[in-house]
Amino acid sequence: MVNRQINLKNAVFAAFILALCLSVPGFTDSYMLRVFNIAWITCLCVLSNYVLLGMCGQNSFAQAGLWGVGAYITANVVMKLGLPPLVALILAGLGSGFLAFVLGFAFFRLRAYYFTFASVGLMTILNGLFMNWTPYTGGALGISNVPSFSLGSLVVKTEKANYYLIFVVCVIAYLLIKKLYNSALGRSFMAIRDNEMAANCLGINSLLTKSIAFGITGILCGVAGALYAFLSGYLSYQTFTYQQSTMYLIMLMLGGTSAPSGAVIGTMIISLLQEWVRPLQNYMQLFYGLGIVLLMIVQPEGILGGGRALYEKWLSRRKPASTVAQ
Amino acid sequence: MRNGSAAENRPVLSLSKVSKRFGGVVAANEVSFNLYAGEVLGLIGPNGAGKTTLINLITGVTPADEGVITLFERDVTKLPTHTRAKLGIVRTFQHPRILDRCDVYTNLAVGADLASRRRAATRSGRQARLEQLLELAGLDEVNLRDPIDKLSYGQQKLLEVVRAMLSEPVVLLLDEPAAGLNRAEMAHIVKLISLATADKIAVLLIEHAMDLVMSICHRVTVLNFGQQITTGSPAEVQNDPQVIQAYLGGAASAAR
Ligand SMILES: Nc1ncnc2c1ncn2[C@@H]1O[C@H](COP(=O)(O)OP(=O)(O)OP(=O)(O)O)[C@@H](O)[C@H]1O
Ligand SMILES: [Mg+2]
Repeated sequence: MVNRQINLKNAVFAAFILALCLSVPGFTDSYMLRVFNIAWITCLCVLSNYVLLGMCGQNSFAQAGLWGVGAYITANVVMKLGLPPLVALILAGLGSGFLAFVLGFAFFRLRAYYFTFASVGLMTILNGLFMNWTPYTGGALGISNVPSFSLGSLVVKTEKANYYLIFVVCVIAYLLIKKLYNSALGRSFMAIRDNEMAANCLGINSLLTKSIAFGITGILCGVAGALYAFLSGYLSYQTFTYQQSTMYLIMLMLGGTSAPSGAVIGTMIISLLQEWVRPLQNYMQLFYGLGIVLLMIVQPEGILGGGRALYEKWLSRRKPASTVAQ
Repeated sequence: MRNGSAAENRPVLSLSKVSKRFGGVVAANEVSFNLYAGEVLGLIGPNGAGKTTLINLITGVTPADEGVITLFERDVTKLPTHTRAKLGIVRTFQHPRILDRCDVYTNLAVGADLASRRRAATRSGRQARLEQLLELAGLDEVNLRDPIDKLSYGQQKLLEVVRAMLSEPVVLLLDEPAAGLNRAEMAHIVKLISLATADKIAVLLIEHAMDLVMSICHRVTVLNFGQQITTGSPAEVQNDPQVIQAYLGGAASAAR
């Protein structure tokens, strides 16, 4: 009974959030809508960070690189091979995912935090490739005029159409991650995060499982890259940078690593904040730095953790009788 | 327990001259024993005797220097830990290793996941098995959606045994499951071990609480400085002067 009530409450809340998100194109101009589109694409990468760091406890700085891999695969598949955009999107996800999975096998052989070091190296190498591998990346000039996404005769050209496309992909990714959380694979990620030795003794293969987590990261970032290529039409190595990877991490830390909604909250707050305080752009790095340090001291679980603490405080204040009774 | 057909007399787990050295410390010195289905083999010895090390060697957490470990006559000595677990060698830890950021349900489910991964037939359907084990462990009142740190230390140790048993193990290695538990919790441990033997699981039990060892072990083997002193029935071992000497040290000799 109580459970049903909670479920109903959750459903109403989810419906409200969904309606709010779907109505965004109704009250924004095309500039602001572009900001939202980029934010949702970013959200996919931050969600991938949630899977790898939040669930599996492994920290990578290569996400922006994998994002770029997805984007360049898309451009090449559509423009050089002439295949349909949907095929390019799928190949971008699979290609970037496969690359991450295979590299995961090499990197996770290294102990503990050396994976993070290796990911920094990977980010640097990928960025170098984007800048120099001219036949496939356009080198320093980049790739222009990537066609828009289309499905048959349906062309996703306008900012608004792109919004719905990107948002739907985000919702699908979010639901799949929720499903992952409640699956044996998701539990094996969390077991590795919380106690690797116990995980091994419960039949979980660390190397394989971590590589799968990194592979999923690659898929999400790759798909994000494809969406970015379709949306922007122009790819430059200056987009897919180490700084961008750091940004994903900051967004996740701000939102909180305990649930995928943390990734969404963190991404949206920072993406929109960046717009609203654009005049102060030069000081943003400083704000982030100070903000994150403060956050880690005051509420290391991010906004999600802070929200939960407030909620529990409110519950205990509302029903003081039951606490006394115990 | 162990009588009757020839098939039942085949050991499940077998250690043959297994040794492990840590620098100058000999933690296991040519240890050999057989473990049979449905029996509880007690492993006792003073602190630092090498009991935990032996479980680490059997599970592959630490590699053996020498010797052979077989499961149903298959050599598992060189296999990685997760593979051994998938073959049915499952353990608990002296200090509980729970998933501290997960809820109670997830902590239990990772055990059941191992059963699915190794395609072990669940004895009575997953949900029924879970309920049965939780009741025996005295954890049936616990809300499965609670964070794990709401459980007491004793409950966490009991949960570890339940988690191990949910994986439908062939060999169950228990490292001091009753240490730090109160009387009531200890009774739950006994119930769980009884179920394990009834289910024909081969149990290796490290324990300091001698009354527990004496009441539920079919055989006991005694370790001192990595050396096996003796193996026998609880009564035989209890009265072995060598054991009294090793286990109680100077105190016993002085008392006599
Ligand atoms: N990983 C390790 N590295 C070095 N030495 C170790 C290691 N593990 C155990 N030892 C040493 O091996 C010996 C046996 O330790 P072990 O933990 O197996 O004893 P134990 O019988 O389980 O003792 P207790 O009853 O206190 O749990 C000790 O001298 C210990 O210091
Ligand atoms: Mg020990």
